Amino acid sequence: METTKETVLHGWHVEQGANMALFGSYHMPLWYRSGTKAEHLAVINAAGIFDTSHMAVVSLSGRDARGVLQRCFSKDLRQCLGRGPLVDGRAVYGVFLGDDGTVIDDAIVCQLAEESYMVVVNASMGPAVALRLRENAGGLAVVINDHSDRIGKMDIQGPLAARILGRVLREPGEAFANLSYFAFRGGFGDFVAQRPVVTVDGTPLLLSRTGYTGEFGFELFVAIERLPALWEMVLAAGRDDGLLACGLAARDSLRAGAVLPLSHQDIGPWPFLNNPWQFALPWDSGGKAFTKDFLGGPALLAASWEKHTLPFAGFDARKIGAGEGSLVTDERGRAIGTILTCTTDMAIGRVEGQIRSVAEDPGFAAKGLCCGFVLLDEPRQPGDTVVLSDGKRRLTVEIRADVRPSRTARRPMSAMPGLEAEMSTLRAEVNP
Amino acid sequence: MKEFDELLFNEEFRYTEEHEWVSVGGAELMVGISDYAQDQLGDIVFVEMPEVGATFARGEQFGTLESVKAVSELYLPVGGEVVAVNEALGDSPELINQDPYGAWIVKIRPSDTAELEQLLNAESYRSMLRG
Repeated sequence: METTKETVLHGWHVEQGANMALFGSYHMPLWYRSGTKAEHLAVINAAGIFDTSHMAVVSLSGRDARGVLQRCFSKDLRQCLGRGPLVDGRAVYGVFLGDDGTVIDDAIVCQLAEESYMVVVNASMGPAVALRLRENAGGLAVVINDHSDRIGKMDIQGPLAARILGRVLREPGEAFANLSYFAFRGGFGDFVAQRPVVTVDGTPLLLSRTGYTGEFGFELFVAIERLPALWEMVLAAGRDDGLLACGLAARDSLRAGAVLPLSHQDIGPWPFLNNPWQFALPWDSGGKAFTKDFLGGPALLAASWEKHTLPFAGFDARKIGAGEGSLVTDERGRAIGTILTCTTDMAIGRVEGQIRSVAEDPGFAAKGLCCGFVLLDEPRQPGDTVVLSDGKRRLTVEIRADVRPSRTARRPMSAMPGLEAEMSTLRAEVNP
Repeated sequence: MKEFDELLFNEEFRYTEEHEWVSVGGAELMVGISDYAQDQLGDIVFVEMPEVGATFARGEQFGTLESVKAVSELYLPVGGEVVAVNEALGDSPELINQDPYGAWIVKIRPSDTAELEQLLNAESYRSMLRG
C-alpha cells in the first residue's frame, strides 16, 4: 500500500481551509479559500506562492558528474545555452528517457559548479531518477544522492514576484541583478552556487528564475526546517500587493495555458517525439540526428511513432474531462485520439475569435477557455479544429501553437515595473 | 474546504444525495446545488443549462456544471418541465459559489409533487453529510 506523504507546510494548508487531494502520493492543496480563479488571476496580475516541496531533488557531485548527466539527461550540456555549454549558475530543462525512448521524468538540471549539479524532478520521482543515474555511474567518480522530502521548496510566480520577494531579502538588488531566465544564485547546506542569497532573518536560499506557470518568478530552495518561516514571511510581504497562496489547481491551469507538460500525463510511457517540447532533445541543425549519444536517443531515432501531442484551446470555458471514456474525434465523429490534459485557463477569453489575456488589458472580463493537450493518431495544424467527447457531450476545440498570450516568464528583470527604484530604496532601509 | 459547522443549509428546501436542492411550494420549483457541493467543486466557470420547455424525468441529467478542475452532471430532483433557466449564470457562473441557495439554475413545473416526499429534508441531508 502506498503511504500518503505530507510536506512541511501541510499543517498550514489544512489550517487555511485548503481543499486537499492526493498528488503523486502527497496530500496537497488543490485550492485555498480564495478559490482557483482568484489564485490563477493573482499570478497573472500580481503574484502567487506555491508549496512545491513535494518535488524531489537529486544531487550529483564529483569529477564524472557531468559525464553521467551527459549520458542520462536529454540536453547536450556542451551546447544548451545557445551554442554554449551549461555553466555555473545556469539551469536547463530536459527529460530522462528509458532505453526505449519513453519518458522516466522531466527535470531541470542546475549547475552549481563544474563538478556539482542539482536535478529537480517531480513528486515521488527522486528514487527512480537516482537509480537511473546510479545504473550509469558504475566505477565513475560521482556521488549521487536522493534528497526527497529533505529539501524545502516554494515558488513565487507573477509580475510582482521580485518586488515582493525583494522585501524579505537582505540584498535584493544583488540577488536579482541581471538574473536571466533559467539562471540561479545563492544556495544552502550542500547546495552552494555563486553569491549567497540570504533573507532578512538570515535564511540562506537558492534563488532560481524558473517556474511552472509561464509567468515571471522564482523557485526558492531552502533547508526544510526554514520553509514554514520563509512561506509566512513572503506571504506577509505580499499581502498588500494581492499575493495569494495558490494550490495545485491554479498551478495546473497556469501551466496548461503556458503549454508546459505535466510529467506522467502529457509525457510518459510513450516515445518523446512529435510533441511541443522537442527543444528538450539535442537535435542537430538538420533535425534528423542528435548532437550527442544519450540513453533513449537511438531508440527515438529508430522509432516509428506516428502519434502527435498537440496543445489545444476551446472557444469558451466548457471542457471534457480527460478521464476514461473520453476521446478526440474529427468533425464526422471518427475517433482520432485521446485527451491528455483538459483544464480552464481563467485569464483568457476569445475576442472575435482571437485569444486575449487579462494581462494585456486588466479591464478585459475573461470568462476562461478550456485548454490542454491531445494525443492524436494523425497530424493536425494550428487552426484546425477537433472534437473532444466524453461519450455524451461534444466540444469543438482548436489545435494551437500557443495558448495564453503575453506571458511574462522571459521578460528581463529590468522590465518588471518599479523594480529597480524599489530595490535601491529597500537596500537603503535594510542597510542604512 | 469548509468545516462541517461552516456549511450552509436552507431549512425549507429538499435535497438529493447528489447534492442538488429543490424549493418546495408553488407551481414552479427552483433547483440548484448545495453549499457543500459548490465548496467541493471549487470555482464554477461554466453552467450548461437546458432549453426552456424541455422535460425531464426525476433523476435525469438536465445540465452540467464546470469547475476549473472538473465537469459535474446535474440531475433533476423531481421530474417536470423547465419553465425558466437562470440567465445570470451565463455571465456570472460564480454566483453559485457566492450564494448557492439564491443562485437557482432552473425553474421547473413538476409533473408529480409527490416526488418531493422522496427527497431528503435539510436535517436528513445534514445527517448524510455528517456520515
